[in-house]
This record gives sequence, structure tokens and C-alpha cells, in this order.
Amino acid sequence: MPKLWVIAKHEYLKITRKRSFLLGTLAMPLFFVAIMAFAIIMVIASEDQRPIGYVDLAGMLTTVTQLPPEKSGPQPVELQAFAAEAQAQAALEAKQIQAYYVLPADYLTSHKVQLIYWDKAPSSSAQRRFDDLVRANLAAALPKDIAQRAQSGVDLTARSADGQQEVSGESAVNIIVPFFIGLFFSIVVLSSGTYMLEAVADEKENRTIEVMTTSLTPGQLIGGKAAGLMAVSLTQIGILAFTIVLVVFVGAQFIEALRAIRIPWSMFMTLALFFLPTFALIAGMMITIGSMVTETRQGQQIAGALNMLFTVPFFFIIIFFSAPNSTLATILTIFPTTSFLTIALRWSMTTIPQWELILAWILVTASAVAMIWVASRVFRLGMLRYGQRLDLKTVLRAVRTGAEG
Amino acid sequence: MPTPTAMVSHLSKSFGSVRAVEDVSFEVFPGEIFGLLGPNGAGKTTSIRMLLDIFKAEHGEISVLGGKMDEAKKNRIGYMPEERGMYKDLKLEPTLIFLARLKGLSEAEAKRRLPAWLKRLDLYDHRFKKVQELSKGMQQKAQMIATLLHEPDLIVIDEPFSGLDPINTRLVEEIIREQQAAGKTIIMSTHQMYQVEALCSRIALIDKGRTVLYGEVDQIKRNFAGNAVTITGQGDFTNVPGVLDARQVNGDWHLSLAPGAGPQDVFRALAARDGLKIERFEIAEPSLDDIFIWVVQGKQEPSHA
Repeated sequence: MPKLWVIAKHEYLKITRKRSFLLGTLAMPLFFVAIMAFAIIMVIASEDQRPIGYVDLAGMLTTVTQLPPEKSGPQPVELQAFAAEAQAQAALEAKQIQAYYVLPADYLTSHKVQLIYWDKAPSSSAQRRFDDLVRANLAAALPKDIAQRAQSGVDLTARSADGQQEVSGESAVNIIVPFFIGLFFSIVVLSSGTYMLEAVADEKENRTIEVMTTSLTPGQLIGGKAAGLMAVSLTQIGILAFTIVLVVFVGAQFIEALRAIRIPWSMFMTLALFFLPTFALIAGMMITIGSMVTETRQGQQIAGALNMLFTVPFFFIIIFFSAPNSTLATILTIFPTTSFLTIALRWSMTTIPQWELILAWILVTASAVAMIWVASRVFRLGMLRYGQRLDLKTVLRAVRTGAEG
Repeated sequence: MPTPTAMVSHLSKSFGSVRAVEDVSFEVFPGEIFGLLGPNGAGKTTSIRMLLDIFKAEHGEISVLGGKMDEAKKNRIGYMPEERGMYKDLKLEPTLIFLARLKGLSEAEAKRRLPAWLKRLDLYDHRFKKVQELSKGMQQKAQMIATLLHEPDLIVIDEPFSGLDPINTRLVEEIIREQQAAGKTIIMSTHQMYQVEALCSRIALIDKGRTVLYGEVDQIKRNFAGNAVTITGQGDFTNVPGVLDARQVNGDWHLSLAPGAGPQDVFRALAARDGLKIERFEIAEPSLDDIFIWVVQGKQEPSHA
């Protein structure tokens, strides 16, 4: 196995076997599972399973008397026909049904129905079930394809000219999906930056760097650590993504709004392109800090401040909602440390111009390359300065000349 | 003359305004134990670091295992630095396997070789402990295993005996001799002169960044004979003119002479002093300690060397 992979595997196992990693990685997925479980329990608990009655005085609910069962998820309430309103009222009073509809004789001209319930209106899904029954009977005389189209109702989808954005009535929930994906990606990228800092500062604190340097190249050492930490990040993303998919899939069986969620693949691909250079940029910064300080804790304080450079778009989230194409939004998209998160936050609000995306990627990639170059110089100098903090003057000299002292 | 396993020639290196190494040269030949000596801050560690390509030399020439350092050669070198380094929060056995893998050993081979070393250095029962739970001496021995597990051709050990009790010192000494017998080349940097005398065939003494003494231990001692005397007698033999250092060894006085001072000068000075009784006065073969002090404090070559 090449040495780079030996380092990567070592780093990966070292971190993933830590209790803090397990807690940090599993906390969010468990939180989602808990939230979803709570929501499902609430939905189930609040759903009245008793039938809904109807009295068809218009005589129009005769062609279709039963709707087909749902293909998935919990089965909707049963619809029960009553010949007269008095019978339905008696059943309601006997609590055999949760409510009943009265379809008046002049329904076809008045388009009005009456819903009678005791103290709590039926759920929206139960009411929709009756609507579907009425719609099915109204469309029964039409040709089959037109009937199906009429039954499915209006489904308007607005698409941007480049096809990047799509909004429809049922997919309104998808507006927040990119926001959450961006948020999760940012958390993972930032946490891996912190791991990188620890990985480098640990070498200095443990004074292992001389043995390392006489066993491998700085490139193998740093590359191996970066690869291992990227695998850690991908593990976190994988666990999170799997949990979210599972939670949404299970939740959609009970919560109708979740069924409309679609994965924004185009955004996913765009962020994937930005992931590597953004990761490299953070890694470069953290290697530099880790090389300069004497203890991990010192570095974490500086890293905390540096993380702000990456999370600053969160402070402007209102602007992204109200003016997603403002100058500020453009600047934050192009600025290397804020590109990743800004793109995620703007994605569902607007169509980000391609030139912005291309320029942002070029800048973040160039910054990452430059930062890694700086980091390699400071790393070589800082790693052998046991117990010494590098001052800025020494660091700048090392960057400028490659001096080791 | 065989090709040297390691060679440095006229090395120099500065850190900012500090000249750490000014002019260091030496050659180390296959199968020998070579001692690198010098006072603290003389430039020994910096020279070793340049030899091993940890630092880049500003000037001078370096050859390791027949040429410039490359990645393949790193697998043939075992290095135990002065600054001992182990991953403190990891367990001993996986740490040693990891370090061996960085030297090109497969995991299976590292696992096969490790138990014998752990048992020999009395660490087998501690193999699943975290490194930070081990004593300083145990960590030192663990570092020795990390240096040797991949069976390197060139072994560079910086202060290998520091922190070890006499039993473990003897054990490490034995291991070093075994490595030499197996044909390995060993560069040992240390302050402990008696270890150097016992183990090294040749030495280089570095002072203020320069090689000030270099050659075979026996030859150096012969060159310095006459620069020390042993006296059996009574009275105070300190502060004698022409004497750099006076100390008692097993009841006798051992005097290191200052540059330019001969045994006759010292004898005359002692004879002129009141209250001294001399029972025996003899020219001593100097110890490396004497030579170290003479060279580092005296700053000159022996007049008759």
C-alpha cells in the first residue's frame, strides 16, 4: 500500500474511532430521526380513523362509489354513504363516523357542499378523499385520459429558461432543501478543517514529525492526512445523507408534504465541484495554523475565528431571500471562502449566472492551490520548532524565501 | 577504503542570524559504530537533520547510502531523534505497526516481527496500553523498536541511553552491538563518553558548528596521551597552573592539562606547592571525557599530536 494511503487509513481510523467523532457524527442524524418520529407520531395520533359519511341528495355519486386504495403510506379514511341526513346525523352522534358531507340537490349549479362534524374538523387528507370522490364522479362521463387529467387537478410548474430552477405548487418544500444541503455540507467541511488542524498540531505536540519526515515526503504526509480527513468528511456526509433519505422516505409515508421533495441534482453536482477546492482551502489554512502553534488548543481558537470567513453568508441570509442577485450576493459568491455556502443559500432563490459560478470556481481553486503552497512552506518550518510558536515575521519570511529558520 | 555509507562534507546551515553549523565533515563506513560528540548546541542534531534531509544544507555535500537521499533510501534508514516522538493517545502495538508500515514493511510482516522485539524489551505485556501510559524508559525502548523493526541498513540514534536505567542501558548497548555484528552502520550522537569509548570505533567531535576532532578513538587517545596525568597522593590537587580540570577517580586524582602545558610543568608546579604528598605520578591515557574537555575548553590541538 503506498505510504500516502497508509497515512490516510491511519488518520481515518484514528478519528472515526474517537468517541467524540461518533457522538458528533451521529448526533445530527439521530436528531432527524427523533424529529421525524415525533412528527409521524403526531400525525398518526391526530388522524381520526373513523369513516366520513356523505349524503348524496344530488344523486351524482353513483358511478364511482369507492376510490382505489393509496399505493403507499397509511390508508385514508373510509367514505360511507348514507341514504338520509338523519341516518348520518345518528351515526355522528353515536361517534361511528367523524363527520359527514351533504351534497345538496342543486350541487351542479351551486357547487357548494355542507360538512357537518362534532367538535373537530376532519384532517385535510380526509377531506381531500371526499373531494376526489366527487371529482371522480364528475369526470366519469369524460374520455378516460381526460378524466384522469381532470382528477389530478392543476399542476403548474415554473421553470427557469436554462432549466436550472423549477418551482411547482407541490414542490414548494424544495425551496428549503438546497438550504439544508448547503448547511450540512458546510458543517462537515468546517469540522473536517478542525480535524486537519488537530492532525497537524498533534504531530507537533507529539514530536513525531522527525520520524515522519525521515519516512515520507511532506506531500505524502499532508496528502495522506487530507485524503484520510476527506474520507472522514465523506463518511459524515454519507451517514447524514443516508439518514435524511431514510427519514424522508419513511416520513413521506405519513406526511404528505415530504412526498414532494426532490433532490436538486444540479445543485448537488455544482457543490460537489466546489467541495474539493473548498476542502483544500480550509485544509491549507488549518495546516498553516497547526504548524504555527505549539498546542492544538491554541490553534482551535484561531481556527474558530477563521471559520467565520466561511460561515459569514449565514449573516446575510435575509438578503439572499429578498435580493438574491444583489451585488453583495454576487461578491459573496465569488469570494473564495464564502462561495460554497453562498451558492447553496442562493440556489433555490435565483438562477446563479454561469459566469459567477465559473469565476467563483476558478478563484476558490486558485486560492486553494496558493494556500496549500503556503502551508507546505510553513509546515516544514513549523514542525521542527517544538514548543515554539512561529511569529508572523518568520512565517512571512518562510513563505517568501522557503527559509527553515 | 570502502564507499562510505554516509558522508557529509563542509556542511553549513543558519537559522535567521544564528549560524548553527559552520563547517562539519565526516564519513561513516559500513558496519561501524560512529560517535557524533559535542557540547549542547554544537550543531550535532542539525548536522544529523541535514544528513537525513530534514533540513536542507546551505552549503556542502551529503551522500547517504551511496548518493543523494531519495524515498527508497528512507526505508533503509532507522532514526531515533533526540526529541522522542510517539502518538501519545494511541496504543503501543498499532503505533509501532503504523511506523513500520511507513518504512515500507507490510502489516503482516510488521506483526510477525513485533512480538519478539516487544518481549525482548519487556514491553509485550504493555502492548495494548496507550503510549502516554508508559514510563519514559518504556517509551524510549518503544522508540528503539520503531527505529529497528524494519531492519534498516543505516541506524541514526540520538542520545539512545538517556532516560534508561543501568539494566536497560546494557540491553540497548547489547542491541547496538548486535546491529553492528549484523553489518548495519550506526551513527550515535551522545554525551555519554564512556558509552562512546565502549561502542564507537571512530568519532567526530563538533563544537560551535565545526568538526574539531575526527578519527579513530584509539588514535585520538594516543594523540592526546600526555595531556593528562594520574596522581596518587594526599592534599588538594585543584587549581594547579597548567591544569584544565582536576577530578578524583577511585581515590586517585586525574588532571587534564591545559594546551601548551606538559606533565613536567605540572609536576614542577605540584612540587612547589606546600601540603601535598605525591605517592605516584604517571602520564595517563586520556579518556574521551578528558579529550572532550580539552578540545572544547582548550580550543587547540594538542601540541604534540
